[in-house]
Amino acid sequence: MNKLLLAAILCSVPLAGCDVKDDEKALQELNVNAKYTVESVQVSGQKNWRISEALRKEVDKMVGSKLDYPALDRLADRIKKELHVPAVSVNIGKGTVPDNVVVNFEVPKSHEQPAELHVAKFLYDSKLGWSGEGDASTTIKSNKFTFGLVSDSDAMLERFSGIKAKFERRHVGTDRVHLRFEFDSYHEQWNQATLLASDQPGIYRSMQVFTPEATLVIAAPLELDFGTSFSRFRPEQPGAKIESSNAVVSTLRYHQRWGSKNDIDEQELNASYSMRAGIRAFETDNDFTRQMAQARYRFRRDHNSVEIGFLAGEINGNAPLFEKFVAGNASVLRGWNKFDLDPLGGSHIVHGSIDYAYHWLQVFYDTGAIWDVAQEREQKQSVGAGFKENGFQVAVAFPIRSGRIEPIFYAGLNF
Amino acid sequence: MRTIKTWWLVAAFVSGFGLAMWAEDLALRWRNNLLEFSAPHMHFLTGKQLERLHNGAQVPFDLKVSLYSGTKDHLCCQLAERFLVSYSVWEEQFRVIKTQSPRQVVDHLDAADAEAWCLKQMPLAPSGIGETEKFWARVEVRVPPLDGKTSNPFGRESISESGINLTGLIDLFSRPPAATQFHTMSEAGPWTLEEIKRGSRRGS
Repeated sequence: MNKLLLAAILCSVPLAGCDVKDDEKALQELNVNAKYTVESVQVSGQKNWRISEALRKEVDKMVGSKLDYPALDRLADRIKKELHVPAVSVNIGKGTVPDNVVVNFEVPKSHEQPAELHVAKFLYDSKLGWSGEGDASTTIKSNKFTFGLVSDSDAMLERFSGIKAKFERRHVGTDRVHLRFEFDSYHEQWNQATLLASDQPGIYRSMQVFTPEATLVIAAPLELDFGTSFSRFRPEQPGAKIESSNAVVSTLRYHQRWGSKNDIDEQELNASYSMRAGIRAFETDNDFTRQMAQARYRFRRDHNSVEIGFLAGEINGNAPLFEKFVAGNASVLRGWNKFDLDPLGGSHIVHGSIDYAYHWLQVFYDTGAIWDVAQEREQKQSVGAGFKENGFQVAVAFPIRSGRIEPIFYAGLNF
Repeated sequence: MRTIKTWWLVAAFVSGFGLAMWAEDLALRWRNNLLEFSAPHMHFLTGKQLERLHNGAQVPFDLKVSLYSGTKDHLCCQLAERFLVSYSVWEEQFRVIKTQSPRQVVDHLDAADAEAWCLKQMPLAPSGIGETEKFWARVEVRVPPLDGKTSNPFGRESISESGINLTGLIDLFSRPPAATQFHTMSEAGPWTLEEIKRGSRRGS
């Protein structure tokens, strides 16, 4: 009977009108192991990872069905993407009873992973120019070492350029505690609008930041980061002494995903609340507290996706310029120029956005306000459209206002 | 009488054995007016390919046989074929499928038999080669590189587009193998058809 089935498959191979799925079905059955039943499936290798619930369900679905190697290959590819590992291999072994097999997706152990290169951000903004951030990392026995270069005119008020070096350990006694130390050193370039508005005080030309931080996995996917941040910056004025801004930092973070790219519906929620407090006990020159809450929710059905974002923040006290909120960049009030909105940054911010995408076509609407004193608070709005595919995005955004409107053009990766 | 030193005997035996081994690297046999290839010392079900097969995957192998007449550079005739190999984790034996028409399938082979079966499916007509003309033979084996996507062993095209064809396979072999791609080759000669036919008659 099996021979007849195989003969039928072989004869059906050249038939016209088959689609790719038919091809895969035929290929699956050409594999001699396709006659065996999957007894169990496991994912093994590293200790410090967890695949999403949706992917786990997909993996578990294989149990009880006939071995479908192309489908296992696709699952291995998804695990690889989700865990950001260079490779995941599929191993088939004998089951506990004849004609049953066990499937093992093997993730290489972290110390076996080769060096990785990563482009964290690459952006062209027609008003602010180029921004880019990239890093190289390698993992040696659960210790991850990262070295990166950055030149960014988008995220903060000034363009900051320099190096980042980071050490991470994702297992400190338990998988629930991670530890990292980051050292950053930047040189700053200021826009004329900021220099005119500030009249020099607060402007610095270089900065070094050292951040020792720990992460506690409270109940996955709820995590708490806590640590300290020691910043030293050299003011622009000749002869001025180096200043320090040392703060206690903590972030409560939640990230959950329902469904996956291969499902009809997919949802994702990212939410966080962070607090930074510059306290006298750390011999800081800046006494302040900075609080920020943000959330992004994304829902996708087939090729339609909607993403809603929210951000609110408040600074009390005397915060350095690099702690100030910024609006009018590639993520907050897109289409506005940050130097028109507030060239010195704001101590209060509220922002909401909604993005709709069909396939790679995208439209968005942003609204929000940035201010220091309540009388300055004014709602701003912007709209835009563009193309987005696999992290690459091209968009044009317009501020909604009376008078002359100058669109801003954005292009790049992961911004 | 001078005696032959023992080490001369050993050297003669070793070199003779080595020559015989080398000579058997690639052998030709005349059957049904076609040249049949065999290469008992050329193995391609080895290394990473074998590891993938033992892990339950199905691995495509592209084979090409060629004849060169007159000089070693003058290609006279060639044939290429793709075989799909899988290894039963329970039976611990190989299944091989010849993908081009006439498609054939064989089960329950060990590694050496599976390799030999593949070559046996590729007899070549020595058209254009005279009975006493010198010719050389070459066998090449390649494994298509994994591109990270679900690989279609029939090639990039859909199976419905009649699978990978001979022209496509020859084209694949005309490009140098990628650094990460498994490839092996064996060549031998020169022979004449007369010698091969005589040898085949003695052997049969």
